[in-house]
Amino acid sequence: MLELQNGTVVFLPGTVNERVALNNVSFTLKDGDFVTVIGSNGAGKSTLLNAVSGAYPLTSGRVLLDGKDITRLPEHKRARYIGRLFQDPLKGTAPNMTIEENLGLAYGRGRRRGLSAGVKKADRELFRELLKDLDLGLEDRMKTKVGLLSGGQRQALTLLMATIVTPSLLLLDEHTAALDPKTSRQIMSLTDRIVKEHEITTLMVTHNIQNALEYGNKTLVLSQGRLILTLEGSERDHMTVEALMRLYSANAADALSDRMIL
Amino acid sequence: MSLIILTDGLRLGLIYAIMALGIFISFRILNIPDLTVDGSFTLGMAVFAVFAMDGRPFLGLLLAPLAGLAAGCVTGLLLTKLKVQPILAGILTMTGLYSINLLVMKESPNISLFNSGTVFSLAETILPGFLKPYVNFLFPALVLAALTLLLLLFLRTQLGMSLRATGDNEAMVRASSISADRMKILGLALANALVSFSGAMMAQYQEFADISFGIGMVVVGLASIIIGEAFLGRRSIVCNVLAAILGSVLYQIVISLVFSTGLNTLFMKLLSAVILTVALAVPLVKDAVKKGKSGRAAVKRGEPNDA
Repeated sequence: MLELQNGTVVFLPGTVNERVALNNVSFTLKDGDFVTVIGSNGAGKSTLLNAVSGAYPLTSGRVLLDGKDITRLPEHKRARYIGRLFQDPLKGTAPNMTIEENLGLAYGRGRRRGLSAGVKKADRELFRELLKDLDLGLEDRMKTKVGLLSGGQRQALTLLMATIVTPSLLLLDEHTAALDPKTSRQIMSLTDRIVKEHEITTLMVTHNIQNALEYGNKTLVLSQGRLILTLEGSERDHMTVEALMRLYSANAADALSDRMIL
Repeated sequence: MSLIILTDGLRLGLIYAIMALGIFISFRILNIPDLTVDGSFTLGMAVFAVFAMDGRPFLGLLLAPLAGLAAGCVTGLLLTKLKVQPILAGILTMTGLYSINLLVMKESPNISLFNSGTVFSLAETILPGFLKPYVNFLFPALVLAALTLLLLLFLRTQLGMSLRATGDNEAMVRASSISADRMKILGLALANALVSFSGAMMAQYQEFADISFGIGMVVVGLASIIIGEAFLGRRSIVCNVLAAILGSVLYQIVISLVFSTGLNTLFMKLLSAVILTVALAVPLVKDAVKKGKSGRAAVKRGEPNDA
């Protein structure tokens, strides 16, 4: 369970460039919730994820994960419980290390890193099975350096790495936005499958309203750092992209950009 | 004559290769150009020399890397906790170490070990008779082989992989619940432990320690790594480590050959700077030549009447 209580992030406080990126946002994700987040550029979507992951500190407010206050925990310590995918597919993997080494590192999440083998024999079998599930042929290339893979393959691998030890929370930061439409769809359905299979509590930021309504069970709409709408239940089930656009312009000061309709 | 030069270069190369392994950790694995090396090499020499003078060379060999470890930790802490730029962090430690090294050497700029029992002479007593003449070669070779093996094994452990990933993709490391700061400190500590150990071996081999011996060592180490990579490439971690060793040996053989012609040794540092510059320039020149050639070829193809 994730709880954000009055989350506020202010950049450059006390200067002329002061900007409130996240303004008193509160919400709760119940266990197994798959929540999508939309909003126009600068609405605070990425700031929200960064505040939850610990990349940016909250200026005020609290973050609670499974009832524990993690507001003051540094990013790498939160990462024991939080899996994360970035928009840039290159950001989630170490390019000069092999596929199995990357998976080996991810598999050690939350454990003390000692002098035990980085990739154990038994692990290798597990990795092979999991890679086979991705259906990208990566199971036969486990000794290949990750830098040689395509963006889509790397993002699929990152998804596997983020969930190989089931996290308490999965953060997806427009993780299909940098991929071509076909690969983007593949990664999105793969994400949906893995999230459902392991019932992972997930927070997904997206530019794609269609995706935001299609996947998950709840949608948050942000505008200029504020949470202006929460869609769930039958209201969300009957929501269309057009209706959401109308609802948005009635509630927000700015308009959703055109590219979000796509 | 030339055989002596060759074996001399080989022996020096084996000892400097230990340093090259250290610089490989900081420069290639962590992607940090670590200037602590110039100070920690001398630190290793100094620590070894004072213990060797006391007739305890083995204790000196043991404590020298620990001193280097501490020096690396200082640079690591400056880099991570105080957010000092990598180059500056190394310079700060290196500068501070100059005083510390003098202090260790009891305020004398050089220590002679000519009359002290050496590790080599002790190792000689253990070796079987027919190998005794080769002790100056065998001892560093065995030590280097053992360290190389340990390093390669370490780089395959969870900790070693975390270290490698830190230099490769820091964002990914933090997202995998690894403290990138701690890995940088660990890497710099290990790197300088190896460098100091190499310094101690060098003090043993040359039978003296000198306060200014370490100046320019980082250049020697980097040149060795880059030269080795020119021959072996950068395909795998084993390949990279072997490249550092091969490069180090080749570098020392070249240096020995050059100075065997009677060139004034005051050109030593200048030569090492020139060698590194050339080693850095070669890939760029190669690229330019390749482009130039294909460019000219294209022009030629566009002009069928030519030739």
